[in-house]
Amino acid sequence: MVQYIGTAATARRRRRRPSTLGQAQDAPFLARLDWTLLLTTAALVAYGLWAIGGITKHAVVGDSNYYLSRQFVFVAVGAVAMIAVIAIDPDWYRRSMRGVYLVLLGGLALVLLAGSVSRHSRRWIDVSFFRFQPSEFGKMLLALFIAAFLADRLNRIEDLRTPLTAVFLAVPPTLLVFAQPDLGSALVYVAAVAACLFVGGIRWPHLALLAGVGIFFAVAVLWLLPAAGMPVLKDYQRSRLTGFLSPDKDPAGATYNVNQSIIAVGAGGATGRGPTNSSQTNLDYLPESQTDFAFAAFAEQRGFLGVSGLLLLYLLVVWRGLKIVTVARDGFSAIVAAGVVFAFVFQIFVNVGMTIGLAPVTGITLPFVSVGGSSLIASMAMIGLLQAIHVRGRLRRG
Amino acid sequence: MASNGPRNGPRIPRFLPPDPRVSQPYLLTPKMALRVAIIGAVALVAFGVLFLRLWSLQVLAATKYRSQAQNNQIRNVAFAAPRGPILDSKGRRLVVNTVSKAVEVWPADLPADKVVRNGEIWQLAKVLGKRPAAIEATIKAHRNDGPIATTPVTLQVGISPDQEAYVEEHATQFNGVKIAPTYLRYYNSEGLLAQTLGYVGRINPDQWKRLRHSRLGYLPDDRIGQAGIESAYDQYLHGYPGQVQVTVDSTGRRIGQPVQTRAATPGKAVRLTIDSVLQRAAEKALVDGIKIAKSTKDGWAADGGAIVAMDPNTGAILALASNPTYKPRVWVYPTANGLKPLQNQKAAERANYPVLNRALDVTYPPGSTWKPVTALGALEQHIISPYDTLLCSPTYSPPNPFGGPLQVFKNWNPFVSQWMDMPTALEQSCDTYFYQLGYDFYNLPASDGQPLQAWAKRFGFGSKTGIDVGPEASGLVPTIQWRRKTFKTAIDRAWKPGDSIQLAIGQKDIAVTPIQLARFYALVANGGRLVTPYLVQDVEAPSAGTKGAPTVLQSLAPSLPKQSGVDPSYLQVIREGLYLATHDPNGTSSSTFANFPIRIAGKTGTAEKVITLPGYKPQVLNQSLWCGWGPFDKPSIVVCAVIENGGHGGSAAAPAAAEVLAKFFHVAAPTTGRVSD
Repeated sequence: MVQYIGTAATARRRRRRPSTLGQAQDAPFLARLDWTLLLTTAALVAYGLWAIGGITKHAVVGDSNYYLSRQFVFVAVGAVAMIAVIAIDPDWYRRSMRGVYLVLLGGLALVLLAGSVSRHSRRWIDVSFFRFQPSEFGKMLLALFIAAFLADRLNRIEDLRTPLTAVFLAVPPTLLVFAQPDLGSALVYVAAVAACLFVGGIRWPHLALLAGVGIFFAVAVLWLLPAAGMPVLKDYQRSRLTGFLSPDKDPAGATYNVNQSIIAVGAGGATGRGPTNSSQTNLDYLPESQTDFAFAAFAEQRGFLGVSGLLLLYLLVVWRGLKIVTVARDGFSAIVAAGVVFAFVFQIFVNVGMTIGLAPVTGITLPFVSVGGSSLIASMAMIGLLQAIHVRGRLRRG
Repeated sequence: MASNGPRNGPRIPRFLPPDPRVSQPYLLTPKMALRVAIIGAVALVAFGVLFLRLWSLQVLAATKYRSQAQNNQIRNVAFAAPRGPILDSKGRRLVVNTVSKAVEVWPADLPADKVVRNGEIWQLAKVLGKRPAAIEATIKAHRNDGPIATTPVTLQVGISPDQEAYVEEHATQFNGVKIAPTYLRYYNSEGLLAQTLGYVGRINPDQWKRLRHSRLGYLPDDRIGQAGIESAYDQYLHGYPGQVQVTVDSTGRRIGQPVQTRAATPGKAVRLTIDSVLQRAAEKALVDGIKIAKSTKDGWAADGGAIVAMDPNTGAILALASNPTYKPRVWVYPTANGLKPLQNQKAAERANYPVLNRALDVTYPPGSTWKPVTALGALEQHIISPYDTLLCSPTYSPPNPFGGPLQVFKNWNPFVSQWMDMPTALEQSCDTYFYQLGYDFYNLPASDGQPLQAWAKRFGFGSKTGIDVGPEASGLVPTIQWRRKTFKTAIDRAWKPGDSIQLAIGQKDIAVTPIQLARFYALVANGGRLVTPYLVQDVEAPSAGTKGAPTVLQSLAPSLPKQSGVDPSYLQVIREGLYLATHDPNGTSSSTFANFPIRIAGKTGTAEKVITLPGYKPQVLNQSLWCGWGPFDKPSIVVCAVIENGGHGGSAAAPAAAEVLAKFFHVAAPTTGRVSD
């Protein structure tokens, strides 16, 4: 059994005895930041801006910096968000987990009710100059909520009912995202919940059971139900999801995107073709080159060297994130950190994988690289959350 | 993991004070550490997979994908070369090119959405004045060829500036439709030589199948010669297409300027043997001949004809006229009424088939112009000696082996009763003289074969002349075997005396083309050599006819004339008779040629042919023919003229031929007088 110091009971005790201070907490605030993570984040943001500058150089005729300058604004907003999230004690989320859940559901429901439609899906809420995409922030909120739920029940985690309840609570937001339809984000939600359960200490048999149910569900949605005449997904969604298994089947149709993306990535070569000569990106052979397929565009322009740098930066974030899981102050913090880190890994793998034919095509963004405010701000807020946990965690004083 | 021990120090006011609730160090249990490690391992494996895949794509297979990306954006577009000019023998440029605009469709670039696509086609059809279905059919025919993204379909060439402006202005509505420059034929010669020049048109699927692997650079949407010289010499005139590279985006929109990767090689010039001045004279002579015929009693129905003028020593065609005719321009700028007589059966019948090249492709009974053939055959077969005489009487009846009534064959001149030798019989074109020869041929033993037909075939009748520009009819020399093979009933299948007798004067089943007749008279004139007629003398550099000396790239000298094996002394007899025919007061065309400044020899022909004129019952009408050459001793031109339904040979065809001869020899055309056979 996993024994965290920070269980619900101990937390309540702590609240009653607020005078006992943590010994590690007396270091200066700035010193308690994870500077490696901070610098990595700064590097990622800069790297992303560099990538976007190239990808969108020829996107708007006459203003080669249109998207880049917008993105700078988002970086500023994201930095503010990050600082704000660092300032908030994560425990606040745990204590107001119901509020978190309501905000999560409310935001996603608002999208379905009042969101604007673009390319067959309803994902955005128009807020003056930019479009706010709640599902990007939902990942973090869902991880916070599930972590809070589990953290308060850590002594009962081995009881199957606890993970089942958690899954049950995670279903409504996931379905709301799925209904937009935003299959990619829904999958990221599932990954975040799975990671929370895993680190929360769910028993292996239970984990296997849930995984089995999940796999059965996927098979049912993709093959069994359509065969039985009850399609859950639209045809184009299904063929996109399964298309990566046979990319040569219909190169002009279902797998056009993947094929063009693979060509773009491969054409980049070792050192890339540069923003001007990247024909796949500039001539629109590559679909969604600024958002979903930004990685392919970046790979075409900057080559293997460029993408290696990007993936290494991501890997650094993951490493620091997992490190933070181990220094987290309490169970809640640890579970949240694990959830967001795994969601981050999953999202990167699915996004990069789909551009190179390793994963199904689902419309999700590449953190720090895809053009768009919500993705960037949410990513930076997520880093902020990790920093907030780190700042309040058990720090080794040298 | 142990945390630091408690440290008591002065409280420093800080931004974000430490959380007061963390009372004791957080312990990482081994189980927890394991799970975090598992997540780390999963992340590492995931990133490792991504790295390996990216390595294989970007480092190992970069060349392959880079070329795919190149091919994605580059389209090689071939563009047709300017067609070579057609020159006359003196280097006058009869047919050249003019640059025009064409409407092209790039099938791959048409809107994918069916409704949008149909709307666009409909709109385009309206602009071009075509039916939408016709446009679809054109595009579809092109597609039958397989998926072609690199070559456009030409919908219409020679569009008007208005049409061009409309399409250009509404370019956004016409995705995949492009206005492109194209070459059109321009006829300096106007209506001259229409049937012989032929025309240029879109390559059809069969032609494409045949030519696509020819390495001559034919394109699936090419415009190639479809008839006449344009077709026969297409491989020289066509040229080799150039190529440009166009950069396109994913929607097929062109980006930037096309880059020429291969210049087009213009088609080569083709120099004809035709002299356009003589050709013009011949075409006018035909019109005049028809006019003259119409003014005569039995030539009222004259409505067409042909004139062949040829060098009797080489077979070079000097003029080749066919009437009725048309202006070849209608193939380039099709008008409602322009093309109809050339393509629509009913309209063609009304216009008396202007597209037919009557000099090559239509057969006539030769009538009396055939008599020299009979005469030569009879001499060679020793049926008669040149100066043996036979009675030329108003009628002739061969003996009836079965008894009963005698068949009567009439002479054209019912007032004659004169013993004639062969030159005289040719001079006055005595039918009864030749009836007797015909009957003699009939009575030859079977072991002798059919010498008249055999000689006719040696003189080139009954088979194509092998002229380099078709189409050509082979005509018919009736034989015993032909009769047996062709007819059903016993009486029709038998070769009867009448068959031989009629054949002797070029009537009944015998059918010849004007070019075959000209070839035979060339043989008579040149001493027995059978020439192969030809229209193109050489292929030259494209600039031919514009400046400087021509650069002959390839000389197309025809095969040498073949000796026919006819006895020269017999030919001399024929020549004597044909000279008398044009000069003796009793000669059949002496009224036309007796006073001609150059010594001309020739033979008239008045051939009966069953004709069905539109609106009439079938009736026997006389075809007016004249064949001859000049100068008599040193022949430099042979002319054959045919006026359809033109009545007597001397009345219509001879004056027409005289006009051509006069132009050739630069002398004044003679006035015509008496009419005879």
